[in-house]
Amino acid sequence: MHETRHQFHESLRALEAQALDGLDLVIQQLDRSLESLSYQDVELAGMVVADDDRIDGRYLEVHQGILSLLARQAPVAGDLRIVAALLHVIRCVERMGDQCVNIAKLVPLSGYETPKDKDILDSIERMGRLARSQVSQAKQAFAGRNVELAQDLVRQDTEINRLNREIFRRAVEIGDNLDLREWAMFMILVARCLERVGDNTVDIAEQTVFVVTGLFREFADASNPPETARAP
Amino acid sequence: MSSITASTLPQITTRRRVTDKVMRGSLLAGTLLALVPLVLILFYLVKRGLSGWSQSGFFTSDPTGSFFGNPGGIRSAIVGSIEMVLLASLIAIPVGIGVALYLTEYGKQSWFANTVRYFVDVMTGVPSIMFGLFIYIVLVTAHVGGGFTAWKGSIALALLMIPIVVRSAEVVLLLVPSSLREAALALGAPRWRVIGKVVLPTAAPGLVTGSLLSVARGMGETAPLLFTVTAAFGLTFNLGTLMNSLPVQIYTDIQSPREEIVNRAWGAGLTLVLIVLLLNIIARFIASRSRRA
Amino acid sequence: MNTPDTTSKERTDMSTAGGPSPERPQAAPQAPTPRAATGKAGHAVNLKDLNAYYGSQHAIKDVTIDFPPNEVTALIGPSGSGKSTVVRCINRMHEEIPGARATGSVKLDELDVYAPGVDVTAVRRLIGMVFQKPNPFPTMSIFDNVAAGLRLTGTKSKDLKDLVHRSLQAVGLWEEVKDRLNSPGIGLSGGQQQRLCIARTVAIEPEVILMDEPASALDPISTLKIEELIDELKESYTIVIVTHNMQQAARVANSTVFMLEGEVIEHDETNKIFTNPSDERTERYVTGKFG
Repeated sequence: MHETRHQFHESLRALEAQALDGLDLVIQQLDRSLESLSYQDVELAGMVVADDDRIDGRYLEVHQGILSLLARQAPVAGDLRIVAALLHVIRCVERMGDQCVNIAKLVPLSGYETPKDKDILDSIERMGRLARSQVSQAKQAFAGRNVELAQDLVRQDTEINRLNREIFRRAVEIGDNLDLREWAMFMILVARCLERVGDNTVDIAEQTVFVVTGLFREFADASNPPETARAP
Repeated sequence: MSSITASTLPQITTRRRVTDKVMRGSLLAGTLLALVPLVLILFYLVKRGLSGWSQSGFFTSDPTGSFFGNPGGIRSAIVGSIEMVLLASLIAIPVGIGVALYLTEYGKQSWFANTVRYFVDVMTGVPSIMFGLFIYIVLVTAHVGGGFTAWKGSIALALLMIPIVVRSAEVVLLLVPSSLREAALALGAPRWRVIGKVVLPTAAPGLVTGSLLSVARGMGETAPLLFTVTAAFGLTFNLGTLMNSLPVQIYTDIQSPREEIVNRAWGAGLTLVLIVLLLNIIARFIASRSRRA
Repeated sequence: MNTPDTTSKERTDMSTAGGPSPERPQAAPQAPTPRAATGKAGHAVNLKDLNAYYGSQHAIKDVTIDFPPNEVTALIGPSGSGKSTVVRCINRMHEEIPGARATGSVKLDELDVYAPGVDVTAVRRLIGMVFQKPNPFPTMSIFDNVAAGLRLTGTKSKDLKDLVHRSLQAVGLWEEVKDRLNSPGIGLSGGQQQRLCIARTVAIEPEVILMDEPASALDPISTLKIEELIDELKESYTIVIVTHNMQQAARVANSTVFMLEGEVIEHDETNKIFTNPSDERTERYVTGKFG
């Protein structure tokens, strides 16, 4: 005979997998939106926008699954924290999906064959890579209930925030150049989207710590400046 | 009345203490008073009975002795009692349990079942002589299968025992939880199997107890036997003839002028009491063992 | 924390999963579970316009419910709502009470349980029942208890020992009692006794199992074990469970019927009943506002 509440534990595991696999969808969308940006691929950008429906669908599925689990199984203690955390996680997934769509929407607007600034392009590329690795690490940290890995995300996020400020400064710098100015402003928006993706991964990291310790600690936001990076 | 102080609870008043002692004392006195005759009876019975027992051949010979010689013992009486009560039990116990089963399993609260119950209750109160008279008129004077015979005595005893068996069996059968009957019915068992394989085995210890108590009662009844089987002295195993029995033996012997015969009566009395006591003890033993299980 | 997105985003309007009409719930949208090794097809029970009376008291009124095969359906409702009566009408135990009668149709697959001349004991061999208070037969050993169903119905079984073994295994009791099959059935703990009663029911190989508050007399851990067992049993039997414990219905049942004062108020997938019931009375009952 199975152990008790077999169906409940199976459902919880499946729900968590569903939510975390949403992060894989996000990585996919992130890759494609950045690719469409660097190659000015409007068609690819269109696909990104359309595919956001999948992430939205995933959100509704997980949301309904959480409601159902709460109503029917009345989870408590660690199980309850997991369910509550998954609610946050799937919202972060949905938001990150939206940010990718925002990036993709900027592709046709930023024009073809416009002159570009190499510094900004490099920074955007670096931000993109960081965002991607953060999403991946967030998934790993949550799935593995790894507190150290979660806290390390804060360190990576400070780098993304720094790059964001860099791009802004550089855009201001080249603002006098009429050809580059409009393009640079679009790049600021792109950077902001990427910075938002980074913040969402930090949220997921906070939820990871909550699940493990039962304590909710905000890692870093405007009111709490991030601590200096620590060796993991 | 003591007032409630800040640090102590009220004490018992002297008046209440005295009342308590007086009541206890008077209840104790009443109990002892009621026990005195019982103790006296037992004491006297044992004393005279033992002197009867000590007579030669008390258990081994029949009371067929000559008028002036050895009066003999009570062997035929013991054998006769056992035989007649055995036949009576063979009739009364199955019939009694059968009626009880009808009342609890089939009739339940129908008007017919309630009527039966009422009459069974009435019969437990009927004086035992009535059963003897009834059989006397119906079987003895009508010369059905002979005049006075032992089996007619058994029937009279059986009529007396049936209401007792029915009453005690019904109580025991009602104690079988209805959840067991439900479980058996829900498995798809026909009602007779439910009764045979679940209800009766569960009620068995109680049924045995009730039956033994009715047997004990049957052993001690004199009046029914007087009218149906009268007295006999020789040892016989044939239920179609006259047979001796302990109660009748006592009845005849106690009127005798001879001291040994009177002693024999007392000895028979003690024997009868001991048999009834033994049956009671066995019944209680079975009941307590089943309760512990 | 994030500040809200400045870009607004249209959400595709996707209705939540579930929510079929209240009359007949669809089968649970999971991958079909493999049938038990016996290869039994599922058996449905259908009640139509069922009315039951205790003397002049009208206990259940025009009850129509379809119990899907190989699923667990729960009946919930406050005391006196008639849920136990409904279940007892299915295997015709209701008529064992003096003065009780029932009208309407109860069908097991296409067979009418109340057809004139039907042998009641045959009905009960196809529709088994487990009661609230565990009731193993006190004079029988564990082995005899499991075999009791066959012996009481006069069914000859070629391999009784094997059947008892399989039944005890099916309820997860074999390991615990295999060394003391001849000890009395009432010597087990409450939870074990109830599983023994379920084994006894399973041994006669019914098609449907009715359970009238099977765990309400048990401690929480035994209750969970019984629920786990119910989840496994539904692969081989259609199960109807009456419970006054709503959380139990929520955990265990594929679909749930809410009854009030002898009538069916709502019958739907359990998910829907406990997240978004259609009837206001259902909502008030499951949120604990009455009952």
